[in-house]
Amino acid sequence: MNYRDLQKDEIATLEEQGCTAPDWFSVQVKDGFSTPGIKNVQFNGQVKLGVFKEMLEVSEGIVKPSGLYNSYIQDCTIDDNVYISCVDNLVGYDIESNVVIENLNTLAVSKKNTFGNGAEIKILNEGGNRELPIFDKLTSQIGYLIVNYRHDKLLIEKLKKMIEHYVGTRKSERGYIKKKVRIINSSVIRNVNIGECAQISGALLLEDGTIGSCKEDPATIGEGVTARKFIILSGSKIDGSSILNNCFIGQGVQIGKQYSAENSGFFANSEAFHGEACSIFAGPYTVTHHKSTLLIAGLFSFYNAGSGTNQSNHMYKLGPVHQGILERGSKTGSNSYLMWPCKIGPFTVVIGKHNSNFNTEDFPFSYISEKNGRSLLIPALNLFTVGTRRDRTKWPARDRRKDSSKLDLINFEFFNPYITGKIIRAGKILRNLYEKTSKNQEYVSCNGIHISRLMLKTSSKYYNLAKKVYIGNEITKRLEGISDTTSFVTVKERLRPVSVDGCGEWIDLSGMLAPKSTIEDLLNSIRLGKIETINDLSDNLKKIHDNYIEFAWAWCADLINKEIGVDFKDIEPQHLIKILNEWQVSAVKLNNMILKDVEKEFDPNSRIGFGIDGDENVKIKDFEAVLGKFEENKFVNELKKESETITEKANKIISEIEDLPA
Amino acid sequence: MDKKEVQKRVKNVVAKVLKINEAEISDDANFIFDLGAGSLQSVQLIAAFEEEFDIEMDEDKALEVQTISDSVDFIASYFE
Repeated sequence: MNYRDLQKDEIATLEEQGCTAPDWFSVQVKDGFSTPGIKNVQFNGQVKLGVFKEMLEVSEGIVKPSGLYNSYIQDCTIDDNVYISCVDNLVGYDIESNVVIENLNTLAVSKKNTFGNGAEIKILNEGGNRELPIFDKLTSQIGYLIVNYRHDKLLIEKLKKMIEHYVGTRKSERGYIKKKVRIINSSVIRNVNIGECAQISGALLLEDGTIGSCKEDPATIGEGVTARKFIILSGSKIDGSSILNNCFIGQGVQIGKQYSAENSGFFANSEAFHGEACSIFAGPYTVTHHKSTLLIAGLFSFYNAGSGTNQSNHMYKLGPVHQGILERGSKTGSNSYLMWPCKIGPFTVVIGKHNSNFNTEDFPFSYISEKNGRSLLIPALNLFTVGTRRDRTKWPARDRRKDSSKLDLINFEFFNPYITGKIIRAGKILRNLYEKTSKNQEYVSCNGIHISRLMLKTSSKYYNLAKKVYIGNEITKRLEGISDTTSFVTVKERLRPVSVDGCGEWIDLSGMLAPKSTIEDLLNSIRLGKIETINDLSDNLKKIHDNYIEFAWAWCADLINKEIGVDFKDIEPQHLIKILNEWQVSAVKLNNMILKDVEKEFDPNSRIGFGIDGDENVKIKDFEAVLGKFEENKFVNELKKESETITEKANKIISEIEDLPA
Repeated sequence: MDKKEVQKRVKNVVAKVLKINEAEISDDANFIFDLGAGSLQSVQLIAAFEEEFDIEMDEDKALEVQTISDSVDFIASYFE
């Protein structure tokens, strides 16, 4: 861009309009520059100015002429049609076109810095040694690896080097404010880069950070926010006097209502209001909405924290060194308490206060309750609750990220190889315990928690039901449309997995499900220096993510082969018909069990408190006016419809298989 | 097994699982509204019935059983 010196008459006009500069030759302007929009401005250092001709909407319904008014501007480049007014100190920024900055104390870059990139946060373990260097391309997967793979020194060293290199590219003594940013009525913003279309209104202090915004998904910072050492990404909204220190805020995150967080990472679509976070790794869809909720030293994802949820990481011994994990889909009920360390399996509901350390990672869909100070595990009970069922449809619908580049890779599949692997392990453990346990025994102990002996066989049955649903779900996806095929040989071809990648154990990298062996290959490439940059690492993770369907089918095919004892190349129609029949029965049963759970929401107990001042008839009418009738409930009818569809689909595929020539 | 025998053993199981006095359990008592069973205990009751009578109750049908008399009929049907 070409800039020229100010002409004498322009300098004279500017001075007449209350402007000053110690050296007017340090102020340069673009061709087409004119003086009317520059009033009462103190220039200092090297300043470059664009053309100010257009009108700008500075706030809703208020349109003003672009220009510079009543401000101190030092060492800045200001592009065309910018509106800057009443800024006490504006120092060291490159400001793109159509930006509005009004009524601000300080917006300055005070030194060469990385704008929050590379700031190390003491995440997951408050005692340290799991520090996560945050940066504006951080994903929950990369974070997961750096924080959790500390046993692998070479890997950590290589990952840190990649980040260090990336952070180096962000180092500058000048900040940027991208196009169409609006910053109004704020106090101090120091060493902060601000992405396109970001909206900042009423912030108290923003220091050492990056706000990664984009026009498809602007970031918003609202009233009273204080943030030090931070990265905030596109589509996120931070307001309500929230306080963030050493925090990473991923895409589509909402934090507000006086929430305070330190040394924590909140990944895609997380929500945090009212409460407090300390050293947490809040994976995608971590939600905490209530006061008196302290989340500390935990690893979460798809998590919902009830009011008054609390954990301890400090037993007044060696310091705050304990940590805990709640796997995807877990919930903690009101006033529930967990004494870390604990590891809770996926889709588990925790109720009550727990003063012992346990590991339920192999028991997904469980309830953990407390009786007389003893922690009890009820395996598989959460398989058929309405809450679990709602969650599985709710999350994908609530992905609020609109950025064309979605950083966190997320699998929403409810039954998947990771969870089903656990379901199978749980069934085996329970059957084993059942065989070994005397009928005189009321409870058995397993990994630090107690299970009622009575539930060993029943829960194992429930897990078996879920396994059949998973297998059926997967195989029907492959068998749909087989009426177009010419013979059963073609069906066998269709079922044969493309490769064996995907067999074996799976892991959940904070939202992304992947075969452990595939991730291990990736990590090996990092160790060997074949993957050297953050971009390459992200691309490779995405490739694995994009192959989920094939990997998952390889896993499922292997499971089916083990279950029926026949390889796909030797499979007969009757094998498939048996699987489909079992699927139909199990899936409908599971839906019926969920419907029984929904029915409780409409039973007399649920009507307590309704029909105030009336008799039983009023109570029922009031309840129905507010919550409707069971038979008319949308969720109920959808579930019933789903059962019908399952039955139709199973029958159709079975008849198609029967009609096929061998 | 006749229904009287089933009923006697059902009440015994319910008393044990819910930790209540067997004498307080009426023939048509509702597990939830009369005997205070929650979701967790309802499932435990199914498990206890299965063990007591050495039967495999259908997973979804078993959850429909909500009273002493329902469960007596349901369990007795396995012995018909």
